[in-house]
Amino acid sequence: MKSGALFGRYWEADSIIHRLDPRAKIAGTFIFIVTIFCAWNFPALGMLAVCTIAFFALARIPFLQALRSIAPLSFIIVLTALFNLLYIQGGETYVDWGLIRISEEGVRQALFIAVRLTLLLLSGSLLTLTTTTLDITEALERLLAPLARIGVPAHEFSLVLGIALRFLPQFAEEFRTIRAAQLARGAKLATSPVKGGLSGLTSLLVPLFASAFRHADTLSSAMARASTRCISSAAMLWPSSCSPRSSHSR
Amino acid sequence: MSHSQYRTMPIIEFEHARYSYDGKRNALDGVTLSIEPGSFVCVLGGNGSGKSTLAKHVNALLAPDEGRVSVMGRDTSLPENVFFVRGNAGMVFQNPDDQIVASVIENDVAFGPENLGVPTEELRARVRAALAQVGLQGFEKKQTETLSGGQKQRVAVAGVLAMEPQVLVLDEASAMLDPRGRVGLLRVCRELNDAGLTIVLITHFMEEAALADRVIVLERGTVVLDGTPDDVLLQADRLTELALDIPFATRLSMKLRDLGVPVNMHASSKQLEQELLTLFAESSDPDSRFVAEESPVGAHSVRPSATESARTDTAPTAADAHTPLIAFENVSFTYEPITQERRRKSSVAPAGKQADWGRSPSEYWALKDLSFSVRQGEFFGIAGHTGSGKSTLIQLANGLLKPTEGTVRIDGRSLADKGAATEARRDVGVVFQYPEHQLFAATVFDDVAFGPRNLGCRSEEVEARVREAMEMVHLDVDELRDRNPFELSGGQQRRVAFAGVLAMRPHTLVLDEPVAGLDPRAKRRFLNLLVELHRDQGLTVAVVSHNMDDLAQLCDRILVLNEGRLFALGTPDDIFADEQKLKSVGLGVPMASHLAIRLAAEGIPLPLGAVPTDEELAQAIAAKLASPGTTGKAPVAPNEGGLLS
Repeated sequence: MKSGALFGRYWEADSIIHRLDPRAKIAGTFIFIVTIFCAWNFPALGMLAVCTIAFFALARIPFLQALRSIAPLSFIIVLTALFNLLYIQGGETYVDWGLIRISEEGVRQALFIAVRLTLLLLSGSLLTLTTTTLDITEALERLLAPLARIGVPAHEFSLVLGIALRFLPQFAEEFRTIRAAQLARGAKLATSPVKGGLSGLTSLLVPLFASAFRHADTLSSAMARASTRCISSAAMLWPSSCSPRSSHSR
Repeated sequence: MSHSQYRTMPIIEFEHARYSYDGKRNALDGVTLSIEPGSFVCVLGGNGSGKSTLAKHVNALLAPDEGRVSVMGRDTSLPENVFFVRGNAGMVFQNPDDQIVASVIENDVAFGPENLGVPTEELRARVRAALAQVGLQGFEKKQTETLSGGQKQRVAVAGVLAMEPQVLVLDEASAMLDPRGRVGLLRVCRELNDAGLTIVLITHFMEEAALADRVIVLERGTVVLDGTPDDVLLQADRLTELALDIPFATRLSMKLRDLGVPVNMHASSKQLEQELLTLFAESSDPDSRFVAEESPVGAHSVRPSATESARTDTAPTAADAHTPLIAFENVSFTYEPITQERRRKSSVAPAGKQADWGRSPSEYWALKDLSFSVRQGEFFGIAGHTGSGKSTLIQLANGLLKPTEGTVRIDGRSLADKGAATEARRDVGVVFQYPEHQLFAATVFDDVAFGPRNLGCRSEEVEARVREAMEMVHLDVDELRDRNPFELSGGQQRRVAFAGVLAMRPHTLVLDEPVAGLDPRAKRRFLNLLVELHRDQGLTVAVVSHNMDDLAQLCDRILVLNEGRLFALGTPDDIFADEQKLKSVGLGVPMASHLAIRLAAEGIPLPLGAVPTDEELAQAIAAKLASPGTTGKAPVAPNEGGLLS
């Protein structure tokens, strides 16, 4: 089973962004993310949104697919926005039902946070959509290499990242199965992800976490089998390749 | 043998090894055994017998609490030996998805040796060699995500081989694979063993055990049987006691001997076939012909597959009167309707390479133009290799997915209608693969009650339904209701999850590989449960399975899928009449049918249907051997029969 674009999954295409050196892409994404964090008002965010759309156009990824790629993570956006909506108070009050009070400032903040998070996720997604996990981890390892000299475990760090990225599509897949199974048992998740209540959410999250632990358990055994330990980068499959590998973007 | 000096030194040695996870119960309880270099050892045992614990000791993932385990003469409990042992005793685990570390195959294979510090040039050579050894040459650059389960397991084997080990341990590595994947993995093991690698294969499949040089059976952490496959697998009574399956060949040779046929006992189907052929050759010589002892059924009264025809005569006629319960009408489905647009717009032509491996990632349709119906009261089987569209079909059957083209009807109502779709969710209960992975509640009761509560049932009603559902799966409500489902055994967890679906009171059950990963005892219980629900509760059942013997035994009709299309649809007799055709889509026929077909191919046709029971097959063979002129008779071909699109 599969779907189109997905956070953490490589989107095969031939574009300037795909062909860019992965190190440049990582550095660029990093800078862009920092910029998003620094954006303090709507006009600034708007400009960054325009940039993001332009990047996706350059990467030849349909914008609908781009949004779809972050859809599984959208609950983060919804939850955060909701918290802001309810907790931030100020300005004119729109709704006042005792405990629940929604005010002008809350709406503004919620909207701001939602847009900011969406842009953050999109820019992260752009990186993984246009770069294979292999390229990302290797590029990251090279970027961090100077730090290895002062004791930062660069190899381990990129290994961890690589594994995380490799499991993202799998968890998305399992999430879909779990969701389908609970829907089959009448769970009301489809109509309203928030109103479904706590049991709706736990029926998805508990199995997902259980599965993560199961995977982690076997994976750690499997890696112990390969007797992982600190090594020098002398033993690398492709030590000399620092340009993006055309074989993957083809 | 030139390696006689090694012969004396075992490559793996357990001396009174004891190990406990919790300090209460010993998972290994005094295991003593030694394994010779170059041998192919199979370890059998039910869940909780200590098989996996044994495997983890060989790999130094665990060290014994008491006693000693050594690999190539080195004590695995000494920290300085751990890397040596892990480098020399590689291990492959059950779930293919849990072991792949990297997204690209060559990186995954290189992971182990990279960590050993193998220099780049040699590393590449090793990766290439290891992939060639498992029959995946040229796969270096492929994405691991696109592989089938069987291929992923072979990649995992390659990852071990690249470390150039002396021992390969497979811990139920074939349990999650389809028949094609399993055959491929076993062939690789056999070849590696022929090249000198020591293999320790842990499995539930008796037919795999018959391929080994030596079989060890564990029970509660101790070795209870140990010997050649014939020594162990012929002890039918003992195997039953240990809740293991009896291999087909053992069952058949026992039945044949009961009928007075002078065959030796065999655990391997191939060997039994060989001996039968020799017997038939001899019996054409009139002097050496033996007379069948008290064969209850004479040669001519063996009706072609008596039970089969009895069942298929009644079931469909009774069912035909009703409207089809589930009807697929020209259903096509794709997961990526948007991709199509992208492809059309894209200047780059879609890659024309139709992959001959796994399921092509560029395959657009998950299901294509599929029409069939499941009738009321039917036991319906769905077969197909991994990626043939079975899971998609299941989700279409209860409205979880909407067909891209065509119509799905339940009780005659199209699921495009929203009301009908909601009812279908309730009426068609879907049990996904590994349903225990969807358990989530803090207590068994809450988990089973999830469905009824979602239906808006009141608490007395919920209580009644949970009780009823748990009784249906033979779980003790009062004992288990407040237990945490995660603490139960695998078989129990699966039944809890199953009860959760039954509590919705569906009239139809759709199950995806319901017995995958269960040990023989749990598997038999679960299948019996299905038969009961079908027979006693009148539920219509549709079951997806890789196991042709199960399908042949249980189902009224079977649908065979290939690459999302209907490949065949008919009674087991129709479906299993053509072995070659099924093989072409990675499936096989039941074992008794296979033997009958092999005999027929050697000029000894038996008057049997396509799906004989062991009993029928034994009697037909005995009758044939006893009757004069065994050869030269017109074949009553098991190869005929109306079938296949």
